[in-house]
Amino acid sequence: MTYRSGNTSRVALDRIMQMVFQASGLFCIAILGGILLMLLFNSVLFFAKVPLQSFFGELTWQPEYDKYGIWSLLAGTLLTTLGAMVIAVPIGIGTAVYLSEYASPSVRSLLKPAVEMLAAVPSVVIGFIGIVVVSPAIMMLTGASNGLNALNGSVLLAIMALPTIVAVSEDAIRAVPTVLREASYGLGATKWTTLRMVVVPAAYPGIIAAVMLGMGRAIGETMTVLMATGNAAAFPKGFFSPVRTITANIAIEMGEVPFFSVHYYGLFATALVLFILSFAINLLAERVVARIRRFQ
Amino acid sequence: MQSSQLVIKGSDTEVNLMALLAEAYWRENPNSRISVSGGGSGVGIVALLNGRADVANSSRPMNEKERALFREYGVACDTVIFAEDAIAIIVHADNSVDSLTLEQLGQIFSGQQRNWQPFNGKDELINIYGRPSNSGTHGWLQKKLGIKFSKHALEMNGNAQIIEAVKIDKNSIGYVSAGYVLKNGKQTDDGFKILRLALATGQPAYTPADKRAIEQEKYPLLRPLYQYIRRESLSQARAFLNFINTPRGEEILMANGYFPVKYDLSQR
Repeated sequence: MTYRSGNTSRVALDRIMQMVFQASGLFCIAILGGILLMLLFNSVLFFAKVPLQSFFGELTWQPEYDKYGIWSLLAGTLLTTLGAMVIAVPIGIGTAVYLSEYASPSVRSLLKPAVEMLAAVPSVVIGFIGIVVVSPAIMMLTGASNGLNALNGSVLLAIMALPTIVAVSEDAIRAVPTVLREASYGLGATKWTTLRMVVVPAAYPGIIAAVMLGMGRAIGETMTVLMATGNAAAFPKGFFSPVRTITANIAIEMGEVPFFSVHYYGLFATALVLFILSFAINLLAERVVARIRRFQ
Repeated sequence: MQSSQLVIKGSDTEVNLMALLAEAYWRENPNSRISVSGGGSGVGIVALLNGRADVANSSRPMNEKERALFREYGVACDTVIFAEDAIAIIVHADNSVDSLTLEQLGQIFSGQQRNWQPFNGKDELINIYGRPSNSGTHGWLQKKLGIKFSKHALEMNGNAQIIEAVKIDKNSIGYVSAGYVLKNGKQTDDGFKILRLALATGQPAYTPADKRAIEQEKYPLLRPLYQYIRRESLSQARAFLNFINTPRGEEILMANGYFPVKYDLSQR
């Protein structure tokens, strides 16, 4: 009898713990769902007043002229994020390969925490560096008179995305079984050939996940781009134009809008666009990762 | 809002000044608790409306839209003009332009004239550094010059950032509260130049560093600084607001490039 009752209490604890963990998992989903619902609800109120063809028809976001066009903001976000990826992906994967394949343990023990420390630098500090270091550097190198532009934002976002890309892709590369490398060396392949033909392809799913996570970091960053990209409302002509991102625009304008005005709802609509964008990137990443796994 | 703490919010122009005043007041009244934060005049006014502040600093008067919202929300507030502030127009130190008329300034800021050529002979694009639309300075200048800012204008996150940007860009022009570039009548920093401004062509141009020109209201970009006080917070705010009018308060105002205005709170 004692044995049985002891057993039931253990079973009960087991079930309670299962419920606790289940609740934490559901809680995350509930938060995400809540955010989505709030965005949708406020966006619907916006589109009741401003038609979709105006939101997608106007080029610029200038509420003082009653212009609520998403394109200049979207272009700002995409330009800075894509630029950041062009810079951060090669450097990030290169660092990860070096850390896991070439670096001696002592170098690794120094370099890895150093890269991780980058993630701990607050975004205002990075934004300030953008104003006083990157901006003059861009002006000097290109002869442009203004260094607060999309390129500046890209450089800073690349710095901010690096720790994520390095950490996750290094894990992926290290997780490639040693037997694969040894088999390659056994066939007479050099280290470079092994890396290129065996190790990196085997780590692809993880590397792509790393890039996507880094991109998520870049696309949602606010303070840094707000400080370093100039925030002009005009539609950007390229990387040397000042841009205003969706996040910076929300940060600038959310404080000043009267609650429950068209402008206020409009900011939620832009946030919804950003949400859909990040969601699509994540979904795409999962698809790609799943497809590559299937072929391995 | 809270009975223990006086929450002051709003204008980025006034935030440093208000923090200094609050500190000086606190030294004399160690039991007082005042919280001062910035964000822009629009931010302060909306915070007042939404009940998140007791006093809103504003470098522009409330607009019609905001007045209507206060009526709609049933929030009553009092207005005090406690100081005057000059807006300084600054350019890069190497720029050969020394003075502009208000009309020329309007043409530059509205984007009608995007090239420095007619002003200093250099065929270069003008880069405008200003504040976003939540700034009172932004709104006040638009009204004063009768323009809307160019969509190419760069919007910086505060006066200090505008100064940094103007200092490194040879083709820059920017507007900042004079309190940020002048201390006791002298320029606070090198690297930029404060322009002289004239009401119209043929009229004398004045710099905000000229104390006489300010006192005689000759400098063209002189504006009153407002404080809006939530009616139910007035009794709590009164002691601090009266402090601004004491000699010690006025001394702080003047030392930071502002000009005190007498007001009377007792009649309210």
